[in-house]
Amino acid sequence: MILNINARILSKKEVAPDVFLISLLAPLIAQQAIPGQFIHIKCSKDNYPLLRRPLSIHRMDKDKGEIFILFQVVGEGTKLLAQRAVGDDLNIIGPIGNGFNIYPKSQKIMIVGGGIGVAPLIALAEKSVAEDKEVRVLIGASKREMVIGEELFKSLGANVDISTEDGSYKYKGLVTDLLKEVIQVWPPDQIFTCGPKAILRKIADIASSISINCQVSLEERMGCGIGACLGCVCKIKIKEKEKNNKVEYNYKRVCVDGPVFKASEVIWDD
Amino acid sequence: MIKKPQLEVEVGRIRMKNPVMTASGTFGYGEEFSPFIDLDKLGAMVLKGITLKPKMGNPPPRIIETPSGMLNAIGLQNVGLEVLVEEKLPYLNKFTTPIIINISGDTIEEYIELARRLDEVSQDKKIAGLEINISCPNVKQGGMAWGTDPQSTYQVVNEIRKVTSLPLITKLSPNVTDIRVIAQAAEEAGADVISLINTVVGMAIDINSRQPKLANIKGGLSGPAVKPVALWLVWQVFQTVNIPIIGMGGIMDAQDAIEFMIAGARVISIGTANLVNPQATIDIIEGIEKYLIDNKVKDINELVGSLKV
Ligand SMILES: Cc1cc2nc3c(=O)[nH]c(=O)nc-3n(C[C@H](O)[C@H](O)[C@H](O)COP(=O)(O)O)c2cc1C
Ligand code: FES
Repeated sequence: MILNINARILSKKEVAPDVFLISLLAPLIAQQAIPGQFIHIKCSKDNYPLLRRPLSIHRMDKDKGEIFILFQVVGEGTKLLAQRAVGDDLNIIGPIGNGFNIYPKSQKIMIVGGGIGVAPLIALAEKSVAEDKEVRVLIGASKREMVIGEELFKSLGANVDISTEDGSYKYKGLVTDLLKEVIQVWPPDQIFTCGPKAILRKIADIASSISINCQVSLEERMGCGIGACLGCVCKIKIKEKEKNNKVEYNYKRVCVDGPVFKASEVIWDD
Repeated sequence: MIKKPQLEVEVGRIRMKNPVMTASGTFGYGEEFSPFIDLDKLGAMVLKGITLKPKMGNPPPRIIETPSGMLNAIGLQNVGLEVLVEEKLPYLNKFTTPIIINISGDTIEEYIELARRLDEVSQDKKIAGLEINISCPNVKQGGMAWGTDPQSTYQVVNEIRKVTSLPLITKLSPNVTDIRVIAQAAEEAGADVISLINTVVGMAIDINSRQPKLANIKGGLSGPAVKPVALWLVWQVFQTVNIPIIGMGGIMDAQDAIEFMIAGARVISIGTANLVNPQATIDIIEGIEKYLIDNKVKDINELVGSLKV
């Protein structure tokens, strides 16, 4: 069940320039959350900025009753959030959304994170490992100090490859180019990804060219975060109706119909 | 022991437990909020604007935050009349809270057909009233075009009046030169209640791409930023018409709500605040009650239009 609670900030750490890791005491959310879900956060204490900010649940510790968020400061909301003090209460709504769907029959799981998009993928890797899957992770970043989560993924026992656009660390280039190379030698059963839209789109193309199930976690500006305002929609294909090559679509809510969608159903037009 | 103040109100034959309603489009079809609040505690629920046929709405991005407010260009995405009646109303009819249906059309015939059908539906399903949306800034045809001209306002309301005996609320746009003439036209045409304001037309620009931030270019501004505008318009309409007023626009807490009532609103609607705090309505009901107790006001109706000038 979705909750609206005040969660105590237990810890805060800057893990990369302008990237923060915050842990929150939220036992009921930690218990029920699944990888890929998010919480909707009131970053300010007053009405500026007005709207909440959706952030993926990065990890959950069911035993300790804690959840973690990992985010980059990109605007007013995240800036204020980064300034909140340990011991403060943060008003959050969650867990929200559908989450990633790991098929029971899948053996090999490929996880691809672009930049801060790795946030929800740690929880996913954790679950995949717990379900005895073989897990391979690709992390893409602009440069070395923006590579996030390498140690965490490794500590889970995943095989990790990294690409940096400027070549300052490991593979030089885009994570999508790295992906193309890796799937030659290690074809996965499913690909899961989160990150900038341009990267998701390329990964969707790669997955469809080799007919692999690919799930993407989308981002859109949100109002309510609970399915009521229809502010957060994306274009999703209507399967039954692909007549005369003209693809028909519906607007689906990223907050509650997603945020995870099958890559093959998403219409990437902007 | 302190005696509880009287919170009950009546607006155009609609009896409410308290003066706090939900604003159309910010409360979905009610069900979305049931994890957070007891829907039975609300004064009334106004549902997302409905059209005869389902509507897809506008392309994203549809919302953008602005200083102390937000712009939206949802474009009236909705499930259409049939689904509303078959799938949404049965759930809502389990509650005692009056349900108000917000209606929109591209043509006058659509408004009339919607009202006629809903009048029929009200024979066996509970519908407390209709709110005629002639003030939506986000659709190409119809919408706000009806509400910015007194003649067409009169025409829409009058034609709808002929096909239904349900209480009629006319929702006004702030995007007009003189809101009093529009309010008067609605009253003369047979509206039982006036609600205002719908959103204020606006836009936002990304200076790097030099593109509008909303795919629809323009959108409707709501939230705290519009409150002073809304208050002034409520006060003007209060001095002009004899029918009750539903006040809204930027109400975030009980203090805001009380300001609207002092300016002449019989009841108030909570819009954008629902998106920020899903419990806003309940907090505001409690806050109003506390204000009445603290100020020794026995009956909420004493506040309405009590502005001292
Ligand atoms: C996301 C959103 C959707 C809305 N949809 C509708 C609608 O379908 N019909 C309508 O009459 N008004 C609609 N409105 C206007 C509100 O009902 C209300 O009049 C306006 O937002 C001002 O109140 P507020 O500042 O409290 O939000 C919408 C407003 C928002 C923010
Ligand atoms: S943010 Fe309101 S419906 Fe998704």
